[in-house]
Amino acid sequence: MRGLKNPLGIAALVSLVFLLFMVVLGPILWGEEAVRTDTMALTQGVSAAHPMGTDGLGRDVLARVMAASRSSVGLALLATAVAVAGGLLLGALPAVLGRRAAGLLNGFVSLVVAFPGLLIALVLAVVLGSGGRSAAFAIGLASVPAFARLTQTLAASVAGRDFVAAARVLGVGRARMLFRHILPNIGEPLIVQATLGAGGALLAFAALSFLGLGVQAPDYDWGLLLNEGLNRVYVNPAAALAPGIAVVLAGLAFNILGEYAAQVFGGRDTIARAEGRSARPVPGDALIVRDLRVSFGPAVPVKGVSFTVAPGERVGLVGESGSGKSLTALAVAGLVEPPGVVTGTIEAGETAMVFQDPMTSLNPALRVGTQIAEVATTHQRLSRRDAARRAVARLADVHIGAPARVAGQYPHELSGGMRQRAMIAMGLMGAPRLIVADEPTTALDVTVQKQILDLLREASTTSGAAVLLISHDLAVVAQLCSRVLVMYAGVIVEDLTTERLVAGPAHPYTRALLASVPDMSADRSLPLATIHGRMPSPAEPVTGCPFAPRCPRADERCLTAMPPFTSASGGGGVACWHPVRETGGGPVTRPDEEAPDEEDPMRRTR
Amino acid sequence: MTALEFHGVRVRLGRGRRAVDVVHGVDLTVPAGTVTGLVGTSGCGKSTLARAAVGLVPLAAGRIAPAGGVQLVFQDPYSSLDPRMTIGAAVAEAVPRRVRDRAGEVRRLLDLVGLEPEHAGRLPRHLSGGQRQRVAIARALAARPGVVIADEITSSLDVSVQGMVLNLIRELQRELGLTMLFISHNLAVVRYVSDRVAVMDAGRIVESGPVDDVLSAPRNPYTRALLDSVPKLG
Ligand code: SF4
Repeated sequence: MRGLKNPLGIAALVSLVFLLFMVVLGPILWGEEAVRTDTMALTQGVSAAHPMGTDGLGRDVLARVMAASRSSVGLALLATAVAVAGGLLLGALPAVLGRRAAGLLNGFVSLVVAFPGLLIALVLAVVLGSGGRSAAFAIGLASVPAFARLTQTLAASVAGRDFVAAARVLGVGRARMLFRHILPNIGEPLIVQATLGAGGALLAFAALSFLGLGVQAPDYDWGLLLNEGLNRVYVNPAAALAPGIAVVLAGLAFNILGEYAAQVFGGRDTIARAEGRSARPVPGDALIVRDLRVSFGPAVPVKGVSFTVAPGERVGLVGESGSGKSLTALAVAGLVEPPGVVTGTIEAGETAMVFQDPMTSLNPALRVGTQIAEVATTHQRLSRRDAARRAVARLADVHIGAPARVAGQYPHELSGGMRQRAMIAMGLMGAPRLIVADEPTTALDVTVQKQILDLLREASTTSGAAVLLISHDLAVVAQLCSRVLVMYAGVIVEDLTTERLVAGPAHPYTRALLASVPDMSADRSLPLATIHGRMPSPAEPVTGCPFAPRCPRADERCLTAMPPFTSASGGGGVACWHPVRETGGGPVTRPDEEAPDEEDPMRRTR
Repeated sequence: MTALEFHGVRVRLGRGRRAVDVVHGVDLTVPAGTVTGLVGTSGCGKSTLARAAVGLVPLAAGRIAPAGGVQLVFQDPYSSLDPRMTIGAAVAEAVPRRVRDRAGEVRRLLDLVGLEPEHAGRLPRHLSGGQRQRVAIARALAARPGVVIADEITSSLDVSVQGMVLNLIRELQRELGLTMLFISHNLAVVRYVSDRVAVMDAGRIVESGPVDDVLSAPRNPYTRALLDSVPKLG
C-alpha cells in the first residue's frame, strides 16, 4: 500500500504490468501477423497499415517486435536463472566445504570475476554454439562469478551475526547452517541483484543476437530484429528503431523493478542529522509542549503530553520502550517522519539533538570537523574558515584532547564516547536554548557514561541551555536532572523532583519501576520485584488508567475512568486515583477522599 | 557438575601483522554450581573470553575446561535468534538427537522459562525483547549444558523486563545447579546474581573474589574507578 504512494512504486508497478502484458499477450495478439508474409509489401516504409514498416518478406515490423517480447524477455530470464543458480552454488559452497577447498574456490571466483562479463559471454557463445538456449547459457554462465562473489560477501556478513554463532555453539552442521540460517537471510538482496541482472542480461542478449551469435532465423528476438532493421536503416529507419526502443524499455522496466525492490527490502535508510531546529524563540521557557499527540494511523504512541522546561532546567523523561518517550523527544526536535502525524503545540528555542548512537547520526563519509562546521556555515552564514575554527574550539570545549587532530578524523576513527562528545560539540555550535539528549549514554561504558553526563551538565551551565534527557535508566536521570517526567503508555503519569523520586514517588508505576532495578544495596536473598503483564500497545484503546491491569491498587474506578493529571501545590503532579502518600515531598492535591490502603504496591514474583 | 576453568588463556584476534592480543593469559575458575560475575568496560576482552570458552574464537595459548558442554546466551535477543525460524524450531534445533519426544521437550523448556506452548509456532519478531531472551535461554538449556555463559543478557532489555530475566536466571541456576559465568558491565546486576566476581581490564583479570569482599573493599584502582562511576539514585 505504502509503495503506491511513492513515484518509484508506481513506476515499478507500471513496469511490471508492461512486462507481463508483453510477455503473456505479445505472441498471442501479434504472433500470427508477425509471420504472415506479404509479397505485395516487401521492405516498405512507415504506413498506416504498417506503423513501423515491413521487412524483407513483407512481415509487419511492429507485430514482430511485439511478438518477440516473450522470447527476448524469456531468454533473458533464463540467463538470469542460470547466473543466480550458478552463483549461489559457487558462492555458498565454501561455507560447507573444508578450508582448503573453500580457499581454492574463493581464489577461482576472484580470478574470473576480474574478466569483463560480456567477453566471457562471447567466448562461451562461440563454444556452446549458436541458438537461443546456448546463448542464454553463455550469458548466464558469464555472470556466475559476479553472483558468486555477491553471495559470498552476503553470506559472510550473515555468518558474522549472533544467531549463526549461537547455532554454531549448539553444534548445528554446516549444511543445515547454510540452508536454514544463511541462505534465507540473504534472499532479499539477491532478489534485488537478480532483477537488476535481468535487465543486463536482456541487453547482453540483444547484443549477442545482433552479432548473429544468439537467436537464429526463423526464430527471432529483439537483437535479431535490430540486426535486420539496421541492414535497411536507410530505407526504413523505423525497422531498426522499434526493436531498439523495445530493448531499452524492457531493460528500464527491469531496472525500475530492481530499484524498487531495493527500496522495499532496504528499509528506510535515512541518516538522521542533528540540526538545530529553530522554531519560534520563546521569551520565557526553554520548551513548552501542549497536548502533544503523535499518531501512526490507528496507533497513537503519544496521547496528549504537556509539560514545560524552564531556561537552564535539566529534566529527565523516563519510561520503558513503547512508553512514547523517544517519539516525544523526536517531536520536540521536529524529527518525526511521515507517516507519523504530530498535533498539539511545541514552542522551543534553538534546539540541539544528541542521539543514542552517534555513529548513525554522524555522516561516516565526512570528517568530524567538517560536519561540525557545516552547522555554522549553513545556519549562521559563517565563512568556511571561521566555521572550521569554531568547530575546533567547540571540540576543545567538550574536553577533546588534540581537537584539531580529531577534527580531521572520520567518525569511525573515534571511540563511542568521543563521538558522543563530537555530537555535543555540534549541538553547541549555535546558541541552543535546549539540548535534547535521547539515551545518550546507553551505548557507552559506565566510566564513559559518567563523563558524558558530567559534560552535559557543564554544557548546560555554561551555555544556559536547558536539557531534556530521555532515558530508560532512573539512576542516569537522577544523576543529571533535577526533575523527572515518567511516561507510561503515551502519557505522563508523574512529574516529580529527583529528591522525591529517591524518597518515594506517588505513582504506583514509578514505584514499581524503581523496585525492579537492582542497586548496589539490593537484598540478594529476595527476588527482584517485577511488574506483571505488559504495557498496552499504542493501537489498543484504553478506558480508564492505562496501568490498571498491572496495578495492585487498582479498583473499579481505575478501570473505567482515566485519572487526570493533577498538579501538586509545590510543583509536579501525578495522574492516579490512589497515589501513594507514604513519604515526604509536597502534598499531592487529590480529587477526592483517602486512598483506601497503603500496602506495598509491589508484588514479589518471578 | 562441572567447574569452568581458564588456564593461561591467551586470545589473538586479527591476522598477520595486524593481529593483537585481546586476552592476555587469563586464569579463572568458576566453581561448580556457582555463579561468577565478570565485569569490565567494553573492549576489555570479556566477550572474547566468553566466545573462546564456547569455541567461537581459537586460543593462542592456554586451556579451557570443559572442552564441550558449554552454552552461551548472547546479549541481543534481536540478533541471536534466526528471524526466519519459529521459536519451536529454534529450540528444537538445540535439543540433543537422543531425545525421543522432541515436541514434549520443547514444551518443557518453554515452560521452564515461563513461555506458553503457543509461543512455539511464532516467529521471533512477534515476541517482545524479554520473551526473546527467554527463548535464547531455553535454547541454551536445551543442549543440557553443565556450564552456561551469559554475555550481557539484560543490557538490551527494559528495566522491568530485566528484573524478570534476572529472577529467572537465578531460579534456573539454583534449580539446575548450573555453573555460570555472568558477564555484564552493570555492577549492580552482577552483584545481584553472582557468588563471586572477577574484574577484567585490558585483557587481564585484575581482581577476583567473593562478591561482597570485592565490591565493599576493592583493592585494585580500576575496580575502584568502576565502582565510583556506577550511577546512583540520590
Ligand atoms: S489510577 Fe488506579 S490503576 Fe492507575 S495507577 Fe493509580 S491506583 Fe493504579
